[in-house]
Amino acid sequence: MADETKKKEILEKLRNGVIQYDEDACREGAQEAVDAGLDANEAIFDGLVSGMEEVGRLFEAQEYFVPEILMCADALYAGLDILKPHCKQMDLGVRGSVVIGTVEGDVHDIGKNLVRMMFDVAGFTVYDLGRDVPLDQFVEEQIKTDSELVCLSAMMTTSMVGMPKVIEKIKEKNPDCMIMIGGAPTSKELADKWGADGYAEDAGNALKEAIKMVAFLKKLRDEKLNK
Amino acid sequence: MNSRERVLKLFRKEPIDRVPCFSGMGNITETGINTLGYRFAGIHLDARQMAETAASTFRLYGYECGIVPVDLCVEAEALGCVINVYPHAEGILYPTIKEKLIHNEDEMDIQVPADLSERGRVPLMREAIRILKADIGSEVAVGSYVLGPFTLAGQIMELNDLLKLSFKKADKVAKLLDLMADAIIIVAKEYEKAGVDYITVREMGATSDVLSPRVFKNLILPPLKKVHSALSVSSVLHICGKTNDIVESMMEAGPTAISVEHKNDVVETRKKLGDSALIFGNFDAYNVLVSGTEELVRSTMRKCIDDGVSAVWPGCDIWPTVPPQNMIAMMDEIKKYGGKK
Repeated sequence: MADETKKKEILEKLRNGVIQYDEDACREGAQEAVDAGLDANEAIFDGLVSGMEEVGRLFEAQEYFVPEILMCADALYAGLDILKPHCKQMDLGVRGSVVIGTVEGDVHDIGKNLVRMMFDVAGFTVYDLGRDVPLDQFVEEQIKTDSELVCLSAMMTTSMVGMPKVIEKIKEKNPDCMIMIGGAPTSKELADKWGADGYAEDAGNALKEAIKMVAFLKKLRDEKLNK
Repeated sequence: MNSRERVLKLFRKEPIDRVPCFSGMGNITETGINTLGYRFAGIHLDARQMAETAASTFRLYGYECGIVPVDLCVEAEALGCVINVYPHAEGILYPTIKEKLIHNEDEMDIQVPADLSERGRVPLMREAIRILKADIGSEVAVGSYVLGPFTLAGQIMELNDLLKLSFKKADKVAKLLDLMADAIIIVAKEYEKAGVDYITVREMGATSDVLSPRVFKNLILPPLKKVHSALSVSSVLHICGKTNDIVESMMEAGPTAISVEHKNDVVETRKKLGDSALIFGNFDAYNVLVSGTEELVRSTMRKCIDDGVSAVWPGCDIWPTVPPQNMIAMMDEIKKYGGKK
């Protein structure tokens, strides 16, 4: 087990690597964590995710904007790719599999990719259908993979209206499946009206929501460790 | 004063009898398409169908303009992107870009094709404008729209890459955006020749929710200025999202008017820009006009006017499934309330 000073130094390197969108620092930090025998889950949550939380704060404070967040996400993935194979299966009570994609008629996937990052971090099995996905494909993939969660994204009002059809079809075949909708034009009212189980709050930005979800997982983990 | 005179006088800042209700963005309706016996997927490739559908919103509801195109892919397609019009879709799917022109950073050094004005659907748009103009041009102002340089760049290459490069390699992006401005000007000039009364520049990708005001000033503003200064007809600059921090820069870009959506606080914007500035907006085209009640539509129209818009105008394309009674309520409320301020 790494000594505390070394551990702190590595976690700090991972955290700052994400904040300063420094992919090399995250890669180095992740390798050092592996070499020092640091718990990979700890490196992910107390290093990378902790950095992403600060990025979320900087975004709220309008110091960071979307380009910075995308670079921070690249840095997070650079570290995550190295740490992932060393992860013991986490038990956060939320693990599972998810089908995610942007609905047909929409070719925007930045918000979807940031939400996906959250699932990757949490150790979910992610079935990413990509963008401009025909509605039936969400239904088929959910049935094929028996996923607990389906996430539908749309950035344009002009493509969002395909969502209720998917929700209806999935619920008809599999009433227990949770469905989340997200993207700029969605709202709580629409989620309720269409029968979705959740939506990206503050619909103006799916990014903040993804970061909030990551932070929530970290909190779950912290509570578990402190028990 | 008919709708055409009202809108043209507004652009010239001359006195008018009431606030007009029109748009520079898409406003075709399903009711209009059905009345004509067309299919949504069919109108993108047929100038006459497109023009007749565009005219139907005025004919059915008295909406005070006629606008083509209907989709957002004209410029990207002319530059060489492959589009998908979803020809077999039953419902309403707007065309999207299927194949991008630039696949990575190394491919950013492109040229604007010399025959851009004859490529893709640019000739079809010229034709549609002419038909629309001949059809309803004496009664309403006929408008058209082009994309802004940044939004167009986000179509011909991965938006993800474009955003990161705006930060990492601003020079390279600036060069591409300048080129996009040239392409946009060529297309807009064709629309002018075909007879449009005004052109809206839709730079919706460059919202201040996404980019910092600093990046907006350094990177987005120069090519927008280039586009607006090249236009001869009245122009409107539209940007989505929380635009309060950049409304002054939007004006600096040189449009005749700016267009903002419901996330903009128009009272603040009016204070910042003064009484004479033309500010168009700013209601939620989906949550008010499509899924709202008639009463919500009416109260929203009054709020827009009370907040100080120069014209009531939706924050985005009007979604085609808009219920006819909401369109009727919108126009009725404008006529009743629009002259009171």
